[in-house]
Amino acid sequence: MSTPAASASGIIKNFGATRALDHVDFDVMPGEIHALVGENGAGKSTLVRVLSGLHRPDRGGVAVDGRVCHFNSPHDAIVAGIATIPQELRLVPALSVAENLTLDDPPVRRRLGVATIDRAAMRDEARVALAELEFTPDPDARVDQLNFAERQLVAIAKALRRKCRLLILDEPTAALETREIERLFALLARMKRQGTAMIYVSHRLDEVVALADRCTVLRDGQVVATSRRGSFAVRDLVQAMTGRAEAQIGDRGKAPGETVLEDADERADAMRLRANEIVGLVGLLGSGTGRVLRRLYGLAAGGANVRVSGEARRLALPIDAIRAGIGMVPGERRLGLVMNLSVRDNILLPSLDRLTRGGSLDRNACDRLVADLMASLDVRPRNAALPVRALSGGNQQKVILAKWLALEVGVLLLQEPTQGVDIVAKAQIHALIHKFANRGGAVLASSSDLTELTRLCDSICALRQQKITARFEVEQGFDEKRLHAAIGG
Amino acid sequence: MTMAKRFNLAGQIPLITLVALCAVTALLTDRFLSPLNLTNILVQSSIMAVIAIGMTFVIVGGGFDLSVGSTVALAGCIAAMTMVKFGIAAGVLAGIATGALVGLANGLIIAKLGVNPFITTLGTMVLVRGLVFLVTGGAPVGDDGMPSAFIAFGSERLLGVHYLVWVPAVLLLVLSWVMHWTPYGRRIYATGGNREAAYLSGVQVERIIASTYIWCGALAGVAGVMLAARLQSGQPTSGEFYELTAIAAVVLGGASLQGGEGTLYKSIIGVFIMIVLGNSLNLLNVDSYWQRVAIGAVIIAAAAADRLRSRR
Repeated sequence: MSTPAASASGIIKNFGATRALDHVDFDVMPGEIHALVGENGAGKSTLVRVLSGLHRPDRGGVAVDGRVCHFNSPHDAIVAGIATIPQELRLVPALSVAENLTLDDPPVRRRLGVATIDRAAMRDEARVALAELEFTPDPDARVDQLNFAERQLVAIAKALRRKCRLLILDEPTAALETREIERLFALLARMKRQGTAMIYVSHRLDEVVALADRCTVLRDGQVVATSRRGSFAVRDLVQAMTGRAEAQIGDRGKAPGETVLEDADERADAMRLRANEIVGLVGLLGSGTGRVLRRLYGLAAGGANVRVSGEARRLALPIDAIRAGIGMVPGERRLGLVMNLSVRDNILLPSLDRLTRGGSLDRNACDRLVADLMASLDVRPRNAALPVRALSGGNQQKVILAKWLALEVGVLLLQEPTQGVDIVAKAQIHALIHKFANRGGAVLASSSDLTELTRLCDSICALRQQKITARFEVEQGFDEKRLHAAIGG
Repeated sequence: MTMAKRFNLAGQIPLITLVALCAVTALLTDRFLSPLNLTNILVQSSIMAVIAIGMTFVIVGGGFDLSVGSTVALAGCIAAMTMVKFGIAAGVLAGIATGALVGLANGLIIAKLGVNPFITTLGTMVLVRGLVFLVTGGAPVGDDGMPSAFIAFGSERLLGVHYLVWVPAVLLLVLSWVMHWTPYGRRIYATGGNREAAYLSGVQVERIIASTYIWCGALAGVAGVMLAARLQSGQPTSGEFYELTAIAAVVLGGASLQGGEGTLYKSIIGVFIMIVLGNSLNLLNVDSYWQRVAIGAVIIAAAAADRLRSRR
């Protein structure tokens, strides 16, 4: 057939003694969406980084349109026509949409021999570029006033402004709502028709199955499968990624017990959590799911009045919530962990006072607690002294849960509990949450992944404009259409 | 295994640097290893070590303190003035309290109002130096009337070691325990490493941050008292550039200016590196202008090493 728009052949990349990529061959044709999947640490990011000029391979090479390229920096890759949309968008928050779009190469005009930025041309250019993506913001709006989905469109428009042979999207839907995902997919389909080659990296396998023309599975730095559209299903991908069939979650036997935490004030989004119960929260961006969690964790401006096991309490600071036996797993891991501290220090952080004897930390008790938790949560590698930033996403998420299990909280508030976590760790985390609830804990979890909530929760609350619009019992089987109507999606 | 080895080696860079520096100087001049010179280095390092211990608290907590040099001078002068009238104990207490007050002011402005630590302490540095001149009228304090026991503290020895050297030694032991084995100490590391995550884990980050500045100020006060004992007076112009030496020493000792990393004993190794460097340049008769150039280069090299380490 024709030449690939971009290809990598025989790539080997070592980091110290670890081989991150082991003879990897990968190519993507013009007008093709090639998905790249694998567990955390399988080598997806390393391959993306090689293609985008951030890492130089130890062996093997990259070619664009059949021509061999040697990238010494991301700039070389961009010039060769490879654009990357990373998870953390590289935009300047304080500059306007138009300024960001034209940042590498702003339109100029000469005035008295001096080159000055032509602001009118810049605005027009931005307007046209974004209109092609069917997005029409004010070009003078500051980027930090846009939501994530809008910023992502700006980043894509910025990438397309240069000659773009290959667009690499790294977990583009991780922070998007259902409607925004649909808009993004429509855009990718249009770009595909125009002949742009795309690499799509994602943990969401249903998306991959729906979207990709081809899919390559990496495991331990090697390509274990590459298959065409129609010849792979989620089940096959999981098996290829992990080398085993997907684990099933055990039963949740117990009926809900006493009320553990409830709002004391009258409000449209009042919550009530019972022992042994896992409640899901679902809603579009701005529907107030995050607000509910923040309020119950003492982060609302002015505080919140609640009843904890019947006793009235005021939650004005996180420390109030923690003292009431409430723990929170924030949506972003950087808010849950102190990355440069050890796994041990992170796990112990909320429990320090409990582990103090005569003013000094009880070293034995600390070590025992940390070792027990790391074993029961299967945190890997099993080295408590390692800085937590050296762990994979899934293991970091387990460390955040371990913090609250160390303190033996009664209530867990979870925000996107498995975001950016691979499928095996995801199942482990779900099992942990179930175990927590089975032992009498109450859980409130928000997630933009509906499948996750139906699997995890006993009941689901739909929110819209800070109001609860519907409640569903997952047991009785539930109607996705009714749910979408409730959240207004 | 190889990972672990390399990691440990990187942690020992300050000590290796210090040993190498001493070895080279000893080879170039035999005066370096003379008992008089070594004692001199210890005594010179003692005052800076006390300041660096306080600075480590602030830097580990994610902050920065430029005001310690001025605080040393103010505390020394207040201590001398009080001592002449009310005796040694009152003078020492007044000096340390003065430092703690400056630290409290820094801490409240930085932690509660959220003002940038660099600007805040730049401001207090100038302000406090102004206060020193206002209080003393620009003249040395207690030139003739300092209590003799206090002067002895600045020059005599206990068990063969200068009293001045005992101060940082004891502080190092006690405060290392505080940093590593008390909940408070662990919370300083967590706050400096990631203020938001620490807050969400129930750490009262504002109090922690403010407290690090109080430590820093109080220890600058201790250093001011020690300096007054050594100079046998309160000198309004003393302590200039001490803040820069202290910050450089802490960074040389491997603390990260991003916060959350640093160890007291390594900061003290950093102090020795700075003092030995100055001492060896003196012994080698390097021109004093060139000495400044060299020390400035070392500070930049230390900061660059900090960046290189965090990039890996």
